[in-house]
Order: sequence, then C-alpha cells, then structure tokens
Amino acid sequence: MDPLEALVAQIQGLSSTPGDIARLHVILKQADDSLRSESTRLSSVLAQLAPSEHSLGFLYVLDAFTSGQISKQQAETTVPIITGFINACNAEQIRLAPEKFVLVCKRLKDQVMMLEAPIRSVGPLFTAARKLQLSTEHLTPLHSDFLLLCLLAKCYKTGLSILEDGIFEVDQPRDLFLYCYYGGMICIGLKRFQKALDLLHNVVTAPMSSLNAIAVEAYKKYILVSLIHHGQWQISTSLPKYASSVAQRSLKNFCQHYIELANSYGTEKIAELEAYVQTNTEKFENDNNLGLVKQVVLSMYKRNIQRLTQTYLTLSLQDIANTVQLNSPKEAEMHVLQMIQDGEIYATINQRDGMVRFLEDPEQYKTCEMIEHIDSSIQRIMALSRKLSAMDEQISCDQLYLSKVGRERQRYDFDDFDVPTKFNI
Amino acid sequence: MASSSSSGLTFKVHPLVIVNISDHYTRVKSQLNPPNSNASSNSPPPRVYGGVIGVQKGRTVEIFNSFELLYDPSTHSLDRAFLDKKQDLYKKVFPHFYILGWYSTGTDALESDMHIHKALMDINESPVYVLLNPSINHSQRDLPVTIFESELHVIDGIPQLIFVRSTYTIETVEAERISVDHVAHLKPSDGGSAATQLAAHLTGIHSAIKMLHSRIKVLHHYLLAMQKGDVPCENSLLRQVSSLLRRLPAIESGKFQDDFLMEYNDTLLISYLAMLTNCSSTMNELVDKFNTAYDRHSRRGGRTAFM
Repeated sequence: MDPLEALVAQIQGLSSTPGDIARLHVILKQADDSLRSESTRLSSVLAQLAPSEHSLGFLYVLDAFTSGQISKQQAETTVPIITGFINACNAEQIRLAPEKFVLVCKRLKDQVMMLEAPIRSVGPLFTAARKLQLSTEHLTPLHSDFLLLCLLAKCYKTGLSILEDGIFEVDQPRDLFLYCYYGGMICIGLKRFQKALDLLHNVVTAPMSSLNAIAVEAYKKYILVSLIHHGQWQISTSLPKYASSVAQRSLKNFCQHYIELANSYGTEKIAELEAYVQTNTEKFENDNNLGLVKQVVLSMYKRNIQRLTQTYLTLSLQDIANTVQLNSPKEAEMHVLQMIQDGEIYATINQRDGMVRFLEDPEQYKTCEMIEHIDSSIQRIMALSRKLSAMDEQISCDQLYLSKVGRERQRYDFDDFDVPTKFNI
Repeated sequence: MASSSSSGLTFKVHPLVIVNISDHYTRVKSQLNPPNSNASSNSPPPRVYGGVIGVQKGRTVEIFNSFELLYDPSTHSLDRAFLDKKQDLYKKVFPHFYILGWYSTGTDALESDMHIHKALMDINESPVYVLLNPSINHSQRDLPVTIFESELHVIDGIPQLIFVRSTYTIETVEAERISVDHVAHLKPSDGGSAATQLAAHLTGIHSAIKMLHSRIKVLHHYLLAMQKGDVPCENSLLRQVSSLLRRLPAIESGKFQDDFLMEYNDTLLISYLAMLTNCSSTMNELVDKFNTAYDRHSRRGGRTAFM
C-alpha cells in the first residue's frame, strides 16, 4: 500500500486513547521526512483527516504541507485551513509536539502578513496561544506573535486581554522580551501608561548577558512613557540595581537623544522642548517614536498645570495661560477641562469670571465601591503571597542554594554569635 | 460494680487533683512512647498510680491534693515504704491533710484494683478510688473522672468488697480558678487549629456568624416555600418573622452609614498593609536565597559577624 495512505490509515486509527497517541507520535516522527517529500499530495490527505480528533497527525501533515515556499494565491487557500485547524484542534494532542505547532503558527503569521490582512489571524492565534499554554501563567512563543499581529491589525483590546494574565513561567528569554515589548506598545496604544511602564521595565531589567536590540528599543520607549506618566526622568534614578550590568552600562549609549529630550523636559520650558523635538524629528521618526514624542510635549502642559494645583487655590484662566506658556485663555480652558474629565486634577471652572478653583481629592473612602476595590486588591495580594511562599520553598530545596549555604555555615558557628539568624545586616 | 453508693458521703474534688493526675499520665505516656516513634499507637496506654490527700469533716470528704506513687507489678500493690515516706513529708507541710485514698487511670475499675484498695484500708478505713479516663472523647462534655467507694455487699452468699460509684462536685479555690481559666483559654477546647488567642477569638466569631447565616437561610427557605404554596400558611410564624425583621436596623442614618463604611475601609486598608508587609518580607527572603544560590559576585570574606 502506498506509504502515505498507510500513514493516513494509522493516523485515523490511532487517535483515540493516550497510549495510541503516543505510539502515533513515534510513527509520525519517523515518517516526517517522507511526508515532506510528498508535499503535493498532502492537500488531499488533509481533507481526509479531521482536525479535532486527529490533531497530531493533522499537525504533522500540515507542517510538511506548508514547509515549502508559498505564493500569494496558495496562501489564500492555506490560511483558512490553518485557522480551521487551530480552532478545532485538541489541546492535549498538540502539546505533544509544541515546536511543530509553533512553526505552523509562525507560517500562518507570515502568510497573513503577505496577504496584508493581519486581522485574519488575530482570533486564531489567540486560541492557539491559549491551547498551547499549560496554564495561564505560562508564556509561549505564540504570545509575542499574537501581540505583534494585534499591533499590526490595531486590535488593541484583544491584545490587552492576554496581557491581563500574570506570567510566571517562561521557556525562552526571547519570548519574554518580545512579549513585554509588544505588550508595552499595546498598552501605550490604549493609553494605559502604568501597565506599559511595568512591561517595558521588565524588558529593560530582564537578565541578559549581552545587549539586544529589543531592550534598546524598549528603553527608548521606557524613557518616553515615563516622561508622559510620571513627568520626570533622571539619569541617576534610571535603572534599578537588579538590572543586568550589561544593561546598566550600555543602554544609555544607544539612546542618547532620548536622554537629552528628558533633560530638556526637566527644565520645564516648553519652548526648549519643542525646539529640541523640531531639530531631531527625523531621528525620532526613524525609531517610529514620533507619536510618543508629541505626546510627551503635550504632557508637559499637563505637568505644568498640575504643578499649579499645588501652589494656588484659585487662578484665572489668563494666568494659567501665561504660566504654562499657552497662547490664549481658551486653550488653557480646554486643557483644564480635558484634565478634569480624565480625572487628573480636581477643579471647577467658573466661566463667568474665568476663574479656576482647584479642589481636593473628593474620595472619602466611605463608599461600597471602595470596599470592593480594596477587597479585590487584598485577594490579589493574597494570591501573590501564596505564590511567593511557594517559590521560596522551592528555592530552599534547590541544590545550588543548599550547597552554597552549607559551605558558608562552616565558617561561622551560629552558636558563637547570639543573634537571631533572620537579620542580614 | 457500678451501682451507686449508699454511704451518704459528699465528695468534693479540687481541680488541682485532676490536673495532677492528667499531668502524671501525660508525662509517663510521652516518656514511654516518644512522639515520633511508630509504636506509639500499638502499645496500650500505661496506668499511673498515686495517692490523694485531703480533709474529712463529718460527712464531707474534700480531696485537696494528690501525689504519685510507685506501682510494683510483681506484687500488684503500691510501694508501701514510699507511701509512708510521702505521708510523713506531706504531714509536715499540711498537718490537717490525711490520705483519703488513691487514684489511677483507665476506663473502668478493675478487679485488681480491689487488691490495692484493701492494702490502703489500714491507713484509711474507707479509702476512695479516683479514676481518670485519659481517652479523649470530643463528644463527651462531662469530666472523665469517677470516684469509687468500697462497700461490703453480699453476692452469691459471700460478703465481698465491691466498688460503687459516688457523685462528687468540684470545689475551687480562687488560685485554682485563675489557673484553670488561664489554661482553658490558651487552647480552644474543640481541638480546632487556632493556635493563638486572637485566632481562637476570631474562630469563635466566625462560627457564630456561620450559625446565624444558616438559621437565616432556613427561615428564608421556609418563607419561599410558603410563598410558593408548598407549606401551609401559618400566620403566627409570619408575625414572628416580621417582628424580627422590624427589630433589625438598629441604626439607619446617613451619618452611621458613613462612619461605618469609613471604619470598615480603614480596617481593610490595615489588613492590606499587613499583607503587603508579609509579601515584602517573603520577597526579601526569596531574594536573599536567590542571591546566595545564583549570584556570581557573592562576597566571600566580607561577611560581618551578624548574619
């Protein structure tokens, strides 16, 4: 019998129980090369297999099918096959061959980019990432591809939903870098600057033995977002101690313009800032950061108005315009109104005499919503505390740790020093 | 052997005696079977023996104190010399106290105990036998202490001494009351997992609220069934429920609501702060361990005396 037909029959027969599937996996691994050589007939083979039951076999055949160069017309037909497979496949079966699955999904991504319709694969890749994950805390290579496609297709909200899961397990460092970088960009797109800052911070302080381009780009965006959100950036407080030494030494060298931008931001003179931006527009544009830089300039106004709330109780719109170096009271009113709506300051505008009165935070912490808010925070931190204790126990049993601790104990006998052992001074 | 006594004596036992006996038993048991050995469940619980002393005024026998005695398994009797020595010592300190009897542990009085009982009859013509049952039974609410007297009964034509139970009351001196109270509050009596007083207190509140909740649920269920028509409408019960409900909002004003919510929020914030501190301390330990294990630049000789 034709080996391909025999293989199809085996796939169909051995896809029911886990024992069978293990055997099938072995057979498929051996038949991998022969599958690749017969790529022309594979489309008919695919038609015979059902993706939901014969997922593993389908995956292998699909991988061989898509391994060659695919032209645009062919992509039109293969994309629906792959998306259909992803939606229907069985999660346990594909977890047996994760690299093949990732490979197939990457090809899907390439094909939709060739077809210039990234939105077609946003949904399927979301399902694919969820199916490949062992738990919601596990990061797969598909996450970063998914986020990239979300960015290209501008579906930020779907990307955000996958960012809400906390990640605790990472297989490949590159996945983490890309995931956090793209995630940061999605959050910037949705104007959730705090979350973007956290994600970009992760990229910049992740352990790396040598500098990589993702970290450099992330650092540039990190400076800009931190200017927008916090309104300050000092070179001295830049990177925390736990960032890798490579990052601490070399990142600054690649982001010179941004650091100068931050310095001129610190002088609180809008004219200087705008001048600097004007002169360096092409450089910012090359990094695709011009939009962010413009937001930085806008945030300068906001920062100045916020500073006024700390000095004055009431102020006229004309004075605001003068202090913040805006052109007219009308512009000042618009800015203040926008900030009140965004919840960044608390004020009332008296339009008759053009006065703005700055108020205190009206939150009294006596509402039921606040109770729920605090309650949910407590629940989150309890979960985090449990996770931390589990990690602590895990590392206490780690061989490397025990060997080092055992070595040091010999030098100092704890009985000689009558001090509690918990204090590390 | 278990009929009730007809001697008409009233017995009063002090808590000190019970605590002494229980302490003696616990000590011997834990010395015999170390806590982690595998044989602890196989060997039978040991029996401990001792004497009780007190005062007898007329028809009232008051047992104040107790002391331990050695049991000689070969002669099945208590060590007489030791008993005499102990009696002399106690006489010096407490001249009014006499040896009233003896104690032991176990589930019920045995025939062999009569032997010991008779041996004591030359010190006290009618000794008492205090028996403590050391097996912990959570459902039993009474003290597992029984007091036996000996009576001469005619059984099968032969006059025999048998044990008969007597009733007793617990008599407490102020000092004993304080110590018993203190011990009782250290650990909850139902064997719950609450190790500290605060946790025990909160557990008590929690169970009270749980009970309240279950009772309200029953009422709610009943009212729903009545509404649906499953149970016949009973107006007197409905009147009681409505009066209960009308009693409920004791204070219902805006100011109360504000203050209550603010205080509630404050408490929540404090617990949040406590959790944050807890987390940061765990994190600190984790980071220290991580640094010890993986840090390539660990200080090799620069560690100070305080670790």
